[in-house]
Amino acid sequence: MDISRKWLADYVTLDCDDAVLCHKLTMAGIEVEHVEKLSSVPAGVVAAKILERNAHPGSDHLSVCKVTDGTEELQIVCGAPNCDAGCIVPLAKIGTVFHTPEGEFKIKRSKLRGVESFGMMCSEQELGISDNNDGLMILPADTKLGTTIESLYPGDTQIELEITPNRPDCLSLWGVARDVSCQLQCEAKLPEITVPECDIQIPDLVTVEDKELCPRYIGRVIKNVKIGPSPDWLKERLESIGLRSINNVVDVTNFVMMELGHPLHAFDRNALSGNRVVARRAKAGEKITLLDGREIELNESHLVIADGEKPMALAGIMGGEFSGVTESTTEILLESAVFKSSHIRTTSRQLGISTDASYRYERGVDYDMAEVASIRACQLILATAGGELASAAMEVAGVRPEEPVINCRFERIRSLIGTTVSNERIVEILRGLRLRVEDITSESCKVTAPLFRLDLTREADLAEEVARIDGLDKIPAIPVQGKFCHSSTEDVYTPVRKIRDTVIGMGYYECIHYSIVSTASALADKRFEKSDLIELDNPLSPDSAWMRPGLLGEMIATVGRNLARGNRDMRLFELDKAFCKNPEKYPEERYELLMLITGRRHPERYSSEAEADYDFYDIKGEVELLLERLGIRNYRFVIPEDNDGRFAPGMVMELQLEGKSAGRFGELAPEFSAKWRNASAVFFAQIDFAKLLDVSGHTVKAYKELPQYPGTSRDIAFLAPADMESGSVLDFLKRCKVANLESVQLFDIFVDDALKAQGKKSMAYSLSFRNRERTLTDAEVNTAMDKVRSKLAAELKVELR
Amino acid sequence: MNDIIEAVNRAAAEAVAKINAATDSAELEALRIAYLGRNGLFPELSKKMGNVPPEQRRETGSAFNTGRNQVQQALNDALDKQKSTGKSGDAIDLTLPGRRRSCGHRHPITQLTDECVEVFGRMGFIAVDGPEIEDIYHNFDALNTPDDHPSRDPKDTFYFPDGRILRSQTSPVQIRVMETHTPPVRIVAPGRVFRRDTPDATHGMNFHQIEGLYIDRNVSMADLKSVLQNFAWEMFGKDVKIRLRPHFFPFTEPSVEYDFSCVVCGGKGCNVCKQSGWIEIAGAGMVDPNVLKNVGIDPEIWSGYAFGLGLERLAMLRYRIPDLRFLYDNDVRFLGQF
Repeated sequence: MDISRKWLADYVTLDCDDAVLCHKLTMAGIEVEHVEKLSSVPAGVVAAKILERNAHPGSDHLSVCKVTDGTEELQIVCGAPNCDAGCIVPLAKIGTVFHTPEGEFKIKRSKLRGVESFGMMCSEQELGISDNNDGLMILPADTKLGTTIESLYPGDTQIELEITPNRPDCLSLWGVARDVSCQLQCEAKLPEITVPECDIQIPDLVTVEDKELCPRYIGRVIKNVKIGPSPDWLKERLESIGLRSINNVVDVTNFVMMELGHPLHAFDRNALSGNRVVARRAKAGEKITLLDGREIELNESHLVIADGEKPMALAGIMGGEFSGVTESTTEILLESAVFKSSHIRTTSRQLGISTDASYRYERGVDYDMAEVASIRACQLILATAGGELASAAMEVAGVRPEEPVINCRFERIRSLIGTTVSNERIVEILRGLRLRVEDITSESCKVTAPLFRLDLTREADLAEEVARIDGLDKIPAIPVQGKFCHSSTEDVYTPVRKIRDTVIGMGYYECIHYSIVSTASALADKRFEKSDLIELDNPLSPDSAWMRPGLLGEMIATVGRNLARGNRDMRLFELDKAFCKNPEKYPEERYELLMLITGRRHPERYSSEAEADYDFYDIKGEVELLLERLGIRNYRFVIPEDNDGRFAPGMVMELQLEGKSAGRFGELAPEFSAKWRNASAVFFAQIDFAKLLDVSGHTVKAYKELPQYPGTSRDIAFLAPADMESGSVLDFLKRCKVANLESVQLFDIFVDDALKAQGKKSMAYSLSFRNRERTLTDAEVNTAMDKVRSKLAAELKVELR
Repeated sequence: MNDIIEAVNRAAAEAVAKINAATDSAELEALRIAYLGRNGLFPELSKKMGNVPPEQRRETGSAFNTGRNQVQQALNDALDKQKSTGKSGDAIDLTLPGRRRSCGHRHPITQLTDECVEVFGRMGFIAVDGPEIEDIYHNFDALNTPDDHPSRDPKDTFYFPDGRILRSQTSPVQIRVMETHTPPVRIVAPGRVFRRDTPDATHGMNFHQIEGLYIDRNVSMADLKSVLQNFAWEMFGKDVKIRLRPHFFPFTEPSVEYDFSCVVCGGKGCNVCKQSGWIEIAGAGMVDPNVLKNVGIDPEIWSGYAFGLGLERLAMLRYRIPDLRFLYDNDVRFLGQF
């Protein structure tokens, strides 16, 4: 809401500059969003003294003056009759910019009929101070030369406020003044609001059929009004807060709404069938064309103000096209009503219409203000549009709301705020806010909030009032104290962070994607079908309607985006939530881990070291390393029977933890990667976070004694069928139960054209032997090796070399 | 001074001079052999130590060691010099790039989340997680949100066909914690929240918040102030001031917004703080008595405060990121900066 300083000053004495006022407002909870100076005097106009006045050689009506602003002497050519030597006048120096309705104009050095002029001396009209254009503005003789005229004639200041929804009482100049007066500890006063007595009764002028939706309606009739332009003071007030002047009556209703916060409507009484109004629910099928030209089809949920026949206004929101005041209006019915706030809010939102009136009604207006606003508007209409009152206040009223009485315990207020504010100060603040304070004891008091403070119903609400008026800056910062509470081990945050950090430690870049995704993105994770997806009821666009079932879809998009920008080397991961509707697959909401690598293994190096791209064994090694870092030893990689579609054929393995599937890794299916140009193969691992957590959770790291005796190793090489898996060799050696065999490590795989032709490959392993109690003898190791050789040859059918 | 000392000094001086004059590594190697090699001059001299009278042995030994070390030092220096100037055949180009390992990068949002959790953790707040698919009760009703509050509108909040929603704030975690724990409770809840905003420079379909809650006996706004003050100091340094401004939220009373003095200009006024010297950080307040009643906590016995802040906003402030969408774009050149 916009207010202007000058208007505010009509109700409260402001002994502070704009900056202090704005600070006070903000610190009292009426936040200042924006401040704009509305001064009409351009910067660069200063007080100057005319030293000499000489006749212009080429003109009868121009003078050539010598002028000083206290720092320099200038020659100015002037056409004003009163540019006499000795006068102090406003001087617009070179460079001053005037804003006129015709546009900007800038004072330049110029020649008038052959005589040079270095500025312009101004009249009051030229400076926008008044309409006087008879001659130069003459400043008081004691004006200090060089003083800016702007500082002598400060304009108004427009202040934009953010009013929180709990403070509808501040949606008016008077409301803000009332609150400011408490902060500034001064008095706020309304002007005298009266109308001449009139006791003409028009019993059927106002009918209210639904008193729940319309608990108060006051109608007054004024006849013989003359619609015309508003007086300057009224235009100026409205313009100072950015409202446009329309005509005297409409301007008055707007003025009173902004002044008192109570919306009003002026009907042309002669346009009302039966010259009366009825507040009733609309009938199904009734229509109304609003002031803005929109035609609305109404139903029983809408409250309308109707005349004898048809709806004339959408109650509390907007008038109908033909209901309002026009140039030919002579008799008006002035409405000042109270409507139920939730009803106005619902209707306004449903129809998508928000007006200054609905904005106030939906937040709640002051029941008692309806009468004051009605009188105030009549007073101003009579003053600006003439005419005379033709009825008394014709009022239909429901029940006046009860004012809540709040028990206010001083100690409780202090303990909530944390200051030592005294009982007396608490009472002073509450009274300053126009609350009724009674039954004051040393411990408590009874507080009655007026109807304009609907937000005050409880002690905590009073604590807030005391805190904001006394000043939140008075609250001390008491160092943290209190008992330690429950343990963090029961929550998932810590393990998520631990695993995230582990993956980062492995050189991955963490990604964060939106979790609402398109159909294509959701179904890119081929573990899921459409029926597994959780769909939003009101997505932003029809295509981003799904909760992501896995992290793959968005990650693929990220890879594509990076490749398109020339970023070809990536080590990316995301550890976050994914969602699934099918409880047989996954819980509704779960954490998942996705790691992805593509491009060069060592892009930061050069020569041959930089050339190699990632391959399958890199992603496998990444998974192994992750498990090792998390202390998980009880895992297996198996070749799954099905490729779920996410992976390239034959390029996928499954991770099993404690015998159960816990994710897969391998090369991304060409379906996704084929469209990328210049891309290297993409590898990723998807790991079920819950299973990882479960297993790492009960993995205990324990010290293992370091060996005391030296070990020894022997190599073995053989020709094996080309399709023999290294894993089966290792499994076989494990099953052989060779004495003292500590570990086996592959050190070479070799195929040349000749071997290839035979369907064979050469495999070489290094076997390490060690005994924990003693040093092994050569003989022992040789015996063991003999056993290995013969078993390999006999059972695995390999050719030893 | 005896003959041996004289001989050692002479030999050392001579050797250093020759070493300094040597022009290639072969020459240096020859000098090394001549002086320090197995049959070189210094080993020869050391053999004569046996003839030195006992009272002179300490002095002689010391002179010998000094002389030999001088020669060794001169040799080392000369070799270094030759290598680094590329004069020797086996020199390497020291200006080639170092052989690095790629290192990982934590997303800026996660960095700030973790940092906040650490800072509040030091003040005794425990991090807890909560569901993102939430029910109306926990997200709105229990938090004292009026039935016709605009935030419930399907224009602003994502709904599912079953009537549940994507949580619009991390505050429902407060309710879940208070439902399952008896006071005192002191938690922070970081996480993703969802608003039905079209993505632009300052909005997204989802963003991240961190929520704080402390319920105990005799908790006041003064306790809140110190926690926020500490937070400001730890995140942005000891010069940062905070201020509380009255505000309104349905779930706190009294409610405040808190500002930090501008971390860019220090409070003098700049574009970031729109010349005000202050930057709005987030909302806070004393937990509304209705919220406490909703979870069965007696507001006459217990009181507490809650606060919340948006991590994207904090990230944009901390790292001067001009557009929120960069945070969800995942360009490796962006991620690699943090």
